[in-house]
Amino acid sequence: MLITSQPELERVLGRTLFEQVPFNVAIIDRDFRVLAANAHFEEYFGDWQNRHCYEVYKGSCQRCARCQAELTFVDGRVRVSDETGVDRHGRTCHYVVHLAPLRDDDGEVKYIIEMTTDLTETRSWQREYDLFFERVPCLAFVIDRNFHIVRANEKFRETFGEPEGRFCFEVCKRRKSRCRDCGAALTFADGAEHVSNQVGVHRDGSPAYYVATSTPLGRGGESVAHVIEMAVDVTQVYRLQAELRRTHDFYESLIRNSPAAILALEPSGDTRIINPTARALLEWKSEQPPNDAQLREMLPRAFFEVERGRGELLELPEGSLRSAEGHDIPIGFSAIDLMSHGRQLGRGVFMQDLREIKKLEQEKLEVERLAAVGQTVAGLAHTIKNLLMGLEGGMYMVDTGLRRGDATRIANGWGVLQRNFEKTTALVKDFLNFAKGRLPELQPTDPVALARAIVNLYIEAARRQGVELVFEAAPNVSPAPLDPGGIEACLTNLLSNAIDAATLRENGGGTVVLRTKDEGDELVFEVVDNGCGMDWDVKGRVFTTFFTTKGGKGTGLGLLTTRKIVLEHGGCIEVESTPGQGSTFRVRLPRKRLQAIAEKIAGAASPEGVAQS
Amino acid sequence: MSDETQRRILVVDDEADVREYLSTALEDAGFAVQTAADGLEALQIVTQNPPDLISLDLVMPRHSGAKFYRDLQKDKQFSKIPVLIVTGHARDDMGRADFDEMTMSGPGIYLEKPVHPDSYVAAVRQLLGIEAPQPQQHPDDLRKELEKALSGADRQALQRALDALRPK
Repeated sequence: MLITSQPELERVLGRTLFEQVPFNVAIIDRDFRVLAANAHFEEYFGDWQNRHCYEVYKGSCQRCARCQAELTFVDGRVRVSDETGVDRHGRTCHYVVHLAPLRDDDGEVKYIIEMTTDLTETRSWQREYDLFFERVPCLAFVIDRNFHIVRANEKFRETFGEPEGRFCFEVCKRRKSRCRDCGAALTFADGAEHVSNQVGVHRDGSPAYYVATSTPLGRGGESVAHVIEMAVDVTQVYRLQAELRRTHDFYESLIRNSPAAILALEPSGDTRIINPTARALLEWKSEQPPNDAQLREMLPRAFFEVERGRGELLELPEGSLRSAEGHDIPIGFSAIDLMSHGRQLGRGVFMQDLREIKKLEQEKLEVERLAAVGQTVAGLAHTIKNLLMGLEGGMYMVDTGLRRGDATRIANGWGVLQRNFEKTTALVKDFLNFAKGRLPELQPTDPVALARAIVNLYIEAARRQGVELVFEAAPNVSPAPLDPGGIEACLTNLLSNAIDAATLRENGGGTVVLRTKDEGDELVFEVVDNGCGMDWDVKGRVFTTFFTTKGGKGTGLGLLTTRKIVLEHGGCIEVESTPGQGSTFRVRLPRKRLQAIAEKIAGAASPEGVAQS
Repeated sequence: MSDETQRRILVVDDEADVREYLSTALEDAGFAVQTAADGLEALQIVTQNPPDLISLDLVMPRHSGAKFYRDLQKDKQFSKIPVLIVTGHARDDMGRADFDEMTMSGPGIYLEKPVHPDSYVAAVRQLLGIEAPQPQQHPDDLRKELEKALSGADRQALQRALDALRPK
């Protein structure tokens, strides 16, 4: 197209601008009729020919209440207005409209040119932003360069109260001046984002812990006009952390200072916690706590053999460990699976050093042995006095019998001498038995068979003395490592005592019962008689050296030897007695201990514990 | 001798051998003897026919000597019967308390086992207030005794004895 004149240029330019300008452009007359509109307009609002502006813009059949165009027709001024209308699809739309008067040559406003720009999307962003700002679950506020709070959200007001245009430091921290570690100041300075931990004052006066992020709000240009602070209230987290730290410190100090050696192991078996007592006990010098393989070298084997994850307590009252330095140390050992909601967190191990106790036990035994020597000398003298009395009597009778030629007296005297000689032999044997500090020779033994054999051996002799001897065995008493000779000596001794007591029953009918049974983990032998019983005084002394109520008949070593053998089996012996009603002697042998002693003896037999092949 | 034959002794000891020994020694010295194996038996005998003296062991099953003694002290008549305690326990823990109590009340004396027959009989006589009889020994016995002493004697001691006997 060739443009040849100025009016021609203006017409073409106007026409082109009208179509090409990136607005919706329409021209209305004083009757609010749309006279012309560009393609953008038609695309946005739809059909406009022969329609009123309010029909096109708003889909309404009446003029608008606050018609801006009407005002411009009157005063000829340019106006800008935000409006809400209906687009060509009937959807609500937001737009800003720019109204400019078109004057005729008289200066009268005949037409208005309306340029509209769509705001629908911007509006919706705005709303979303507002909603987001208000409802975001963190504190958010905007400050200007003077640190005045320009805007604050719901959460902020909940936490710190109404900001009312005050300084941020006043509202958040009740300070009179700016904070030293102000993240917003940095952001104002460098335009970058900054994060800081802050402690403020909650509206109720309590401390408020929050993590604040300062972000610049750009409005274009070099300098940052506003900063938005977003802060996450971590007071609850902080409190929980503090509580957790306190709890942790409490337990840690408990574990650290415990006189028991404590290990906590990961499910992998590696050590997570080792307290100083455990370090000392294991003689573990390395900074790095022992791992699974290293623990397997040191802790009792049983610990690694039990089934895990069942939350059961494993107890080895008399276990032993091998320290990092290779020392075998007697320990009390217990371990438990550490569980949380059915899941295994690891294992806890508690150990007690038994060396001191073992040493004390040994010393106590030594002291008792020394005391026993004293008692033994006195008791032995007494026993010998009785024997000498018998010998004196025998000699007197043999002597006077010979002198008088009295054969009966000689025979009687000889009998006395013989009996006292036998007693001397028995005393020496008992005494040697008692004095022997040997280890019992444990071998798998059926306690029922052993006890039954002894009863069968004595049943006849007892009957002759008018005492009925009865054997009772509980079902399913399983074999145990016992020294058959030793236990036989014990039971024989208890039976013979019981038979003696039963013969002293006033009206005859003496009965002695030997029982074999299991009580919990203990193998129990019980000897019950319905004989004379013992008073308190006698009961207290039955286990002392050379104590006898039998006059010359007993050596006073029987029960003492019995007790010694029982102790060597790791057991104990109890007495119950009522004068005139009878006595019960009960031997209790914990099976675990029998096993431990058997292992110890086996270990002692081969000191290295490893057979050379 | 008539003194002894009139006196009846009760020997209490749980051991048959000791009873036999002591009663034989007493009978040989001319006493009448009864025996009991424990305190209960002894009490029965004392009640039926009180003896002139009781020879008592302390530690016995069933009814000990100490208990028996306490029973005796409760009775006016029986408490006057002299008691000779023959025990092995007089000086050990088992016997001392009982023994101290017993020697504090009532007539008594104690002998510690083993007892020689002569000292036993002498103690019985002393408690009963009887003079020991002069030994009436057979001349043969005396000669034998002398020979025995001489054969076992120290030569030097004999020489000194002879020197002492010779008139100077």
